[in-house]
Amino acid sequence: MTDAGRVSYTPRPYRRTAVPSSPTLHGIQRFTAGYTPALNAQVRAAGGFARWFDRQLADGYDDAWAAQTEQWWSSITASYEVTAQRDRDGVEGFWRADANYQCWSMVRRFGSQRQVRETMADFWEHHFHVPAVGDVGPFRSDYGRTIRGLALGRFDELLRTAVLHPAMQHYLGNVNSSKSAPNENLARELMELHTVGRGPYSEDEVKAVARLLTGYRMNNWVVTYDPTKHWTGAVTALGFTHPNTDPDGRAAVLALIDHLARHPLTAQRVATKLAQRFVSDTPPSGLVERLAEVYLASDTAIAPVLRALIASPEFARSAGQKVRTPAEDVVASLRALGVRLAAPAGASDAAANAILGRSTDIGLAPFAWPRPDGRPDEAAAWSSASRFLASLETHYSFSGGWWPKKGIVYRTPRSWLPASRIRFDLFVDHLSRTMLGRPSTAKLLRVACEASGCKPAEIITAQHRIVKWDMPRLITTFLDSPTHLTR
Amino acid sequence: MTSRTETAGRATHVTGDPAPATTAPSCAEVGCDDFARVAMSRRSLLRSAAVVGGLTAGATTLTTVGDAFLQTSYAATRSVPAVLVVLSMRGAVDGMSMVVPHGDPVYYQARPKIGIPAETLLAKDGFFGLHPNLAPLLPLWTSGRMAAVHAAGLPVANRSHFAAVELVEDADPGSRERIGWINRLIGRDSYASPLQAMQLGNSVPATAVIGPQPTLSVRGLNQVKLAGADQWDKQGRRPRSMRTMWGDVGGPLGQGARAAMQAVSQFGAVTATSTTPANGAVYPTGGFGDALAAAARTIRGDVGAEVITIDQGNWDHHVNLGTLEWGSMQQMTTQFAAGLAAFFTDLGPLASKVTVVTLSEFGRRTRENANYGLDHGYGTVMMLLGAGVRGGYYGRWPGLVNNDNNDLQVTTDYRSVLAEVVTARLGASSAQVFPGFTPTPVGVVSGL
Repeated sequence: MTDAGRVSYTPRPYRRTAVPSSPTLHGIQRFTAGYTPALNAQVRAAGGFARWFDRQLADGYDDAWAAQTEQWWSSITASYEVTAQRDRDGVEGFWRADANYQCWSMVRRFGSQRQVRETMADFWEHHFHVPAVGDVGPFRSDYGRTIRGLALGRFDELLRTAVLHPAMQHYLGNVNSSKSAPNENLARELMELHTVGRGPYSEDEVKAVARLLTGYRMNNWVVTYDPTKHWTGAVTALGFTHPNTDPDGRAAVLALIDHLARHPLTAQRVATKLAQRFVSDTPPSGLVERLAEVYLASDTAIAPVLRALIASPEFARSAGQKVRTPAEDVVASLRALGVRLAAPAGASDAAANAILGRSTDIGLAPFAWPRPDGRPDEAAAWSSASRFLASLETHYSFSGGWWPKKGIVYRTPRSWLPASRIRFDLFVDHLSRTMLGRPSTAKLLRVACEASGCKPAEIITAQHRIVKWDMPRLITTFLDSPTHLTR
Repeated sequence: MTSRTETAGRATHVTGDPAPATTAPSCAEVGCDDFARVAMSRRSLLRSAAVVGGLTAGATTLTTVGDAFLQTSYAATRSVPAVLVVLSMRGAVDGMSMVVPHGDPVYYQARPKIGIPAETLLAKDGFFGLHPNLAPLLPLWTSGRMAAVHAAGLPVANRSHFAAVELVEDADPGSRERIGWINRLIGRDSYASPLQAMQLGNSVPATAVIGPQPTLSVRGLNQVKLAGADQWDKQGRRPRSMRTMWGDVGGPLGQGARAAMQAVSQFGAVTATSTTPANGAVYPTGGFGDALAAAARTIRGDVGAEVITIDQGNWDHHVNLGTLEWGSMQQMTTQFAAGLAAFFTDLGPLASKVTVVTLSEFGRRTRENANYGLDHGYGTVMMLLGAGVRGGYYGRWPGLVNNDNNDLQVTTDYRSVLAEVVTARLGASSAQVFPGFTPTPVGVVSGL
């Protein structure tokens, strides 16, 4: 029927292009924004994945990329006053300032040498989700930067900082709550989403925590505390009790947060979410138990939990089981294609801005999830038919260099050729190693042959039609593979 | 747990459950990539026909070979006699602002600032009335094609958005499997096209559509195309290579990829519909209007879409629900009504097969908070519009209370309403779609 029946597809290794071992590639896929040959070299130079991981946890690589790119949008580092003023003056609305932050979060992950910090910043920012869609005034960029700074530290500090940050206080309506009619929104999500998870508390305990959280106010984007709005009286919730007699309830709130951070159910929840992110959608309960124990034993420090996770046999067995989210797909595709990004210089169609729309097209821009539980982290959410089609659309436009065109330098088709003359099957193997970090397979070779119309033994040169005209059709195939769409 | 003896509303009409349909074969039994082989052989056939000279009636559509099979293979879809459109009002809508119980004095006592004055209500009877911004829907109401079932919801209160949404959309409390009620609904027969259930406006599948049956979740109709399968791909290399790549991939991603390629091959009749709404319909700008317009085009294309689900907005009004003059509720009811009115105008005669039902995970408290808002409550309203709907107000009113536990109690399990819709309109078995649940007759929908 087709030539598929007659041609034999036997992958041939192009050994000159180095690839990491399978366990190292797995670690890279889980804790970075995607494989690159340069990253492979960095891991090798560190002496292997575990040593590289330790050095990442210790910030042993420079932060120049983040420092450079946070200047690409003035709103990223602007004060609340300046951001609010620009919104009032119609210069740059809050929604655009938040969009800048969304873009920067992707750019950061694209180029950072501190890949593990970026990965964990992303994790915590979704755990303490505040949508970056212009709904929380001037606070969102600072919120994200603050969480990034704490991302490899301790959960108690993260919890305290996130929950009391004006972005969260505003998002969940706590700044207008008062003792006359407490707003229960933050109280409920503090327990259900941020700490112990749903179930172990009663509605009376939600109301009690809501009363304890009264007193915070906001005026002209400044968070203040008004003791006359604070409900006083004893509070009991989840094993926490406090007389709460002081009209200034802030010390009692801090005590509650410290209690919740160390609650065994919080340990369970944090361990479960980490295992879902870095192991599998349905993590083994034994692993979760062990990680929860490490969390409690290390008094909520994150690094020991991560070390235990990557050392676990459950982690080792889980390669390729996670589906990339839309933003992860976009960033990993740009990394696989070896592009260079430049400052957007205010152009909405520059790559550093345009990638946001690409992520939306595939399903969701970073931090655009409309509810406080944060974007889902399971295959079913990111496997819809339209996700697939939109991913392919994005891969193809990147592969052709058709969109975006500004603020980005794509590799030339010729630069993908590792030699002046090479068999097609070897070329496919080289591309697989370069873009996916692993040798080609018989199936990938067959797909590449079908997509390009080339035969395995066909000689490819710079004058071959595939290099002159049809490289986008070939290289997009690698991005369209199950290997690239998972991590 | 959930069966009740009281009869809700004007219930007189009981629809018996037909015998359960034969369970569709699983992927493991038939192979989920069957469609790929079918598409391949159909394509070979069509290309042969074109080469032979195209003397058949379909010949005029076969002039461009690369595109031809995409344009013609939609004949494989079937026409459906009835379409269910599910509007999910995300964030827990305050049913008492949509359909106001003006006859309950506690309503106004509990809502001194945000209560909607009785004199402003539309379609008012002695007890209920509609939010004035629902005015564009009055023609539907007065013609007896719009109904409201009040005090509806889950059998047990659940104030977590996320847990409640899962319960509502999974609708199978006895099972640990995560399969949505819409997926079970379309799984009642052996027809398995991803176009049978479509989610429009949001490509992240809601729980209701998740399950073994392939479905299509898209932001917009223009996403239903395979990049690279264009006029320059004359040999069909692109679709062939993608079928090879994804034909045997397991898990949700493989299922989604195959559903996507099947959907693309079956979508031509929708793509061919005009992008301009019919009958002068004008949709409100924004995602909700866009999704409804896409739904109308999909129905017009008649590609076998039996269930279309659309998310609407964020009704989580802890703050600034507001009054008739300002706030989020007056804006959102305006958008809701304008969108649905445009949808029915756009549909024209096709409206005779389209039934719309609204769902929300729970309702809101009776008593307003200090922020012109309402915290998480329990019962809410479900609205039904269109084909088969018996207009009017339904639901046994439990009476409001103004104390610390000021919920609107639930008197109608939401599944009773949905069960009536899916049995009367789609001929489904309630027992299959809502396992273990015995519906109480509501009488709000009549059969085909």
